[in-house]
Amino acid sequence: MAKKTQIIDESGDKYKYGFVTDINAETAPIGLNADIIRLISAKKNEPEWLLNKRLQAFEFWKTMQEPTWAKLTYDKIDYQNLHYYSAPQQKVSPKSLDEVDPKLIETYNKLGIPLKEQEMLSGVVAVDAVFDSVSVATTYRAELAKQGIIFCSISEAVKEHPELVQKYLGSVVPFTDNFFACLNSAVFTDGSFVYIPKGVKCPMELSTYFRINAKNTGQFERTLIIADEGSYVSYLEGCTAPQRDENQLHAAIVEIVVLKDAEVKYSTVQNWYPGDKNGKGGVYNFVTKRAACRGENSKVSWTQVETGSAVTWKYPSCILQGDNSSGEFYSVALTNNYQQADTGTKMIHIGKNTTSKIISKGISAGFSNQTYRGLVKVAPQAQNARNYSQCDSLLIGNKCGSHTVPYIENRNKTAILEHEATTSKISDEQLFYCRQRGISEEEAVSLIVNGFCKEVMQHLPMEFAIEAAKLINISLEGSVG
Amino acid sequence: MSKIVLKNYADWQQDDTNTTFCPKLAILREKGRQAFLSQGLPTPKTEAWKYTKLRNLSDEEFVVESDDKNSFHCHDEKCHCHDEHETGSHEHCCCHENCLPFEVYEVNFCNGKLKADHFHTTQGLSIVSLTDAFENGDVFKYLNKSFDINNFPFAALNSAYLEQGVMIAVDKNFNDDKPILLNFHSHGDIKRLSNVYNVIVAESGARATILEHYYCSGAEKSVYFNNIVNEFFIGRDAYIRHYKVQQEAFKAFHIALNSVQVKQGGHYESFCLQLGADLSRQETQVVLKEPHAEAEVNAVYKMNGWATLDTTTDIKHISKETVSHQLVKGIIGGKAKGVFQGKIHIAPDAVKTEGYQLHKALLLSDEAEVDVKPELEIFADDVKCSHGAASGELDKEQLFYLQSRGIGEDEAKTLLIKAFTDEVINKISCTAVAEWIKSL
Repeated sequence: MAKKTQIIDESGDKYKYGFVTDINAETAPIGLNADIIRLISAKKNEPEWLLNKRLQAFEFWKTMQEPTWAKLTYDKIDYQNLHYYSAPQQKVSPKSLDEVDPKLIETYNKLGIPLKEQEMLSGVVAVDAVFDSVSVATTYRAELAKQGIIFCSISEAVKEHPELVQKYLGSVVPFTDNFFACLNSAVFTDGSFVYIPKGVKCPMELSTYFRINAKNTGQFERTLIIADEGSYVSYLEGCTAPQRDENQLHAAIVEIVVLKDAEVKYSTVQNWYPGDKNGKGGVYNFVTKRAACRGENSKVSWTQVETGSAVTWKYPSCILQGDNSSGEFYSVALTNNYQQADTGTKMIHIGKNTTSKIISKGISAGFSNQTYRGLVKVAPQAQNARNYSQCDSLLIGNKCGSHTVPYIENRNKTAILEHEATTSKISDEQLFYCRQRGISEEEAVSLIVNGFCKEVMQHLPMEFAIEAAKLINISLEGSVG
Repeated sequence: MSKIVLKNYADWQQDDTNTTFCPKLAILREKGRQAFLSQGLPTPKTEAWKYTKLRNLSDEEFVVESDDKNSFHCHDEKCHCHDEHETGSHEHCCCHENCLPFEVYEVNFCNGKLKADHFHTTQGLSIVSLTDAFENGDVFKYLNKSFDINNFPFAALNSAYLEQGVMIAVDKNFNDDKPILLNFHSHGDIKRLSNVYNVIVAESGARATILEHYYCSGAEKSVYFNNIVNEFFIGRDAYIRHYKVQQEAFKAFHIALNSVQVKQGGHYESFCLQLGADLSRQETQVVLKEPHAEAEVNAVYKMNGWATLDTTTDIKHISKETVSHQLVKGIIGGKAKGVFQGKIHIAPDAVKTEGYQLHKALLLSDEAEVDVKPELEIFADDVKCSHGAASGELDKEQLFYLQSRGIGEDEAKTLLIKAFTDEVINKISCTAVAEWIKSL
């Protein structure tokens, strides 16, 4: 993911992914009912079992209440005033990249995501590009297939690998899980599917790039990653959306199944449109991400850099079922202006000798509010479980808020759990030290903030880390002085 | 005398609890009743009670005694006061009045009832029964003023039966020579719900030490429910030490709220030791209202069996330059469950504040459980706040170290546990109380 960090354009607007692609789109009628779900399912030529699953989820969703426990305030979402399907019109599924609408290719180029299979200086990354409700292209598929790796959109996987999808879809996040997950289970449109066969180390980074383009459209993507015994994969996720005055809804599910001795690294740089400096517009981001470490010695690691979205509600979790399995969560969340983020993780220790580590760094500036909300739970049978959590918050300015709400539930005496949290502002000494060496205040702040986040950033793949550091500098702009 | 089953609160009609002759009191009771009815009993979905289940507290049929009707004078003109004082109704009891190894100013409660109307006091110290305080009228300035009754269902229940309790006022002429003991003794077989409400007012520059002691004599299995509210108003530069030892019977219920307001330069030092009861919750809310107000809220809980012991704190830093420290340690054995919910809230503009919180728990058995929720809620940037939480079993290396020096396993464990809790107890600045607590 290269060079998308030219300095902000002259208009002074900081969000440089805010353009709209003018493309003919096929959009489902506004509103949500069983017919819309049938329409989505028909558009995607889905088998009967999946349609039934969707309808079942929809029936259940109608009985559910939108959760209010998070420290978030936002205008009520009118679920009947949204399009649940929008797809750029193109000839029946492109056989190769050459057949993809050049406008789409152009859009992704503009976002810095090359959909051409080319050697980049920064290394090889296979990309699945999701545009509104559909996946438009997946690169390097053939090369990956040689090793037995399946990397495609979930709609294709439903058709081509139904046995895998049927077995694992909804096995980590059942549709009854929560309000937004249930909505997603009913109306999800596209997303990525990854299967790494036994003993295979995926030779390149896999990545999905989500783009919301159409107006008044919810994006409901669904990602399923299965790492079979002894395999390894590193997966990246990036997201942007056009700058609009209305709020856009994004409710995704990511499910990861990690079998014996396998390892999955999942990194996210979330840069949805955050709204303008008065808090108008921006994406509502309600995401359920969960990994199940099913086998012995399995390992999963979540790394996230959250700088976008007007509202973020996201708790990537690890269910540590297998003995000796381990889960990690590294997070940087930066909120500015009127952004709100309620994010954290859940570590559920079930197997013996399971370990987990949580490093969360929150930076609030402007009028923003952010909350770390996490759960560490040790089941009675989880002998020798070990957890270390650290949550640090940095406040810039006296109009923002930073909150820490960890829940720790221990039912096994051999478990050792530690939690630490601190909140402070940027220390005057550090600032003074930089200033007396001729560094401007703004630069000094971004230097200190980047230092504060370093522990998390170093867990990102290299090209992502550079990107993320620059993103943080841009997001911080205007918050000092 | 009436009977209530808490879970049937919806059927709870306006009853004889409101037939008082003092209109102000009637209003308070009615507010309490309404607040309780509108909140209902907490469920696991109530965030403040997420980890503490009421279990059979809600099913038991409790007797509530009220002998208030004509029992006090009221100067309110609308009142029809009666002069006769019903004193004979107190059961005779054989409480040890002061079994502590140091001298105190005594206030005795027996089964939730205040045992005397007059108290030995000294210069600068005034202790009056709540009934006398109602008469005098001053107490209404304080009752329900430091917390919102709509957030505390049991304090609301307490207010609905408002009658028993004392008002303690100290000013700077009081020399804090001995602690003021609030001695709560329970005995007998009646399943009682006792609501006690105390108001402690410390004028500017006052110093005082308050010690609460709850215990039961006789049948170990007595079932009763002590529902306590203490309101503290700490004036400028006043220093209040508040210690509590809870040794209720094993089947008893104990729910207490300490609501504290601290003015400029005031200091609230508290320590709570919870050892008994089947279900016990100590909730402390401190509001640091003005600059340089300070609070220390420390606690130790220790239990076995099936008990649930809950320590909940909420420290609100409203003003700049305020400081709070919390240290809570728990030792959990058997099938018991320890709960700690601690919150530090820093209001916007409350800059240069410091809030520290640490909770540590030792699990001694396979079925013990601890649930912790330390929370920071911060709306100002120039602050120093931290919290920490740790839980685990006794350090095997430390045990080995002691055993390798010829100390038996049991003794070594006792030693380690003592060292673990002494760290908190040593923070008690009143040495006589600290020594006594160590000996328990």
